[in-house]
Amino acid sequence: MDHTIVRLPRNALDRPGSWLALVVTAWSLAAVVLDAHGVSTRDGRFLQTVNGAAIAPLMYLGAKHMVTGYDHLLFLVGVVFFLYRSRDILLYVSLFTIGHSITLLAGALGGVRADPYLVDAVIGLSIVYKGFENLGGFKAVLGWQPDTRAAVLVFGLVHGLGLATKLQDFALSRSGLTANIVSFNIGVEIGQVLALTAVLIALTYWRTHGSYLRHAYVTNAALMAAGFVFVGYQLTGYFIAQ
Amino acid sequence: MTPSIEPAPSPGLPSKWKLAQTTAIAVAVAAVILIAFVLPAEYGVDPLRTGRALGLTRMAAPLPIDEPPPSAGGQVLAPVQNGPIGVYPADYKIDSAQFVLGPYEFVEYKYHLEQGATMLYAWKGTAAVLHDFHGEKDSARGEAVSFEKRERRQGSGVFTAPFTGIHGWYWENPGGETITVSLNSAGFYSTAIELRSDRTRHPHELTTPGGMAPPGIK
Repeated sequence: MDHTIVRLPRNALDRPGSWLALVVTAWSLAAVVLDAHGVSTRDGRFLQTVNGAAIAPLMYLGAKHMVTGYDHLLFLVGVVFFLYRSRDILLYVSLFTIGHSITLLAGALGGVRADPYLVDAVIGLSIVYKGFENLGGFKAVLGWQPDTRAAVLVFGLVHGLGLATKLQDFALSRSGLTANIVSFNIGVEIGQVLALTAVLIALTYWRTHGSYLRHAYVTNAALMAAGFVFVGYQLTGYFIAQ
Repeated sequence: MTPSIEPAPSPGLPSKWKLAQTTAIAVAVAAVILIAFVLPAEYGVDPLRTGRALGLTRMAAPLPIDEPPPSAGGQVLAPVQNGPIGVYPADYKIDSAQFVLGPYEFVEYKYHLEQGATMLYAWKGTAAVLHDFHGEKDSARGEAVSFEKRERRQGSGVFTAPFTGIHGWYWENPGGETITVSLNSAGFYSTAIELRSDRTRHPHELTTPGGMAPPGIK
């Protein structure tokens, strides 16, 4: 996957401006990641009152979770950062979609419960992983790079487990359970298309500027930092909850 | 997969040293953000005292866990049924309270009632609020039993406690303007407690009809 390699600009991170950019980007990314966590309490209370199939509300919640769920979005930004052709974008996003749909449906329908903190910590790690990969880190350190397609699929599975766990936090009524979970999943995909469109418009615009590749290194380093914040946040939560 | 941009030649790859540096910087930036801002705001963990300085730790005020049940206070007002009459050992009490709720703020207001004890209530908001009329058994504190949960602007009725414990309302401003909720009630309850958004608890004084101060209640 040569196209995911960042050309290291000369003097990257050597100028004070780059440092500032890294800190500001990481902070704003981290802020949105943290805000994105979970379904809001009000929606949660609504979910508990749902009895029977509520297709439109669950679809809306799924879409909302994706559009405001920046942990998933940051991972997608990492995935499409160096994808220029729509065929590639379609392939990778489909792999991610297949991955998270499998575990979302299986997890929520089968009642598989994972610790939400640990799942979210791994989701944070997936952001770090993709940022590191975009930096060319694996090539530089290992001399080869694990298949990006496999990585996206595997992390898709983890993201789906996170979605399932979040949905299970709310005692959904047994009646209409399947319809509601499938609706939530469809909503997630709709939200993903909407959010991805916005991301791609922004990236495409940015790509017309020379600054794109010049700042690619710092951007992916910031992606890693945001991922680390998310990991630390979730692990601390895990240990505090013990 | 054919790369659409030219594969970066190996000189484009960062050196291991550069990568280690970058990763260390990313970890360091993440650690500073975490320790200075995130942990204080989310968990109240504040090693650098930055959370207190910025007022972030308030956001992480712990949820009330195993809060002591408000004591039955004064006389136990349990009814003894005599045909259609429920006979109580003492006077009923009256109460009125107002709650001002900013956007997304909530308040809980509950009375302690013995099983079978009744009260009469009416409340009204200046706008619709999220509302949950519920009770918690003295024996199983923390497990709320919901009697009615929906968005409402007002409610009034007669309530007979299905079990001994605290019974009352959760009101939440769904966002937008500040809402005032006014409540009036009369009943054979013994204490009243208000639980605010900031998780502080405030006992309310109750009055007996006729304005006489009830014995044993400050």
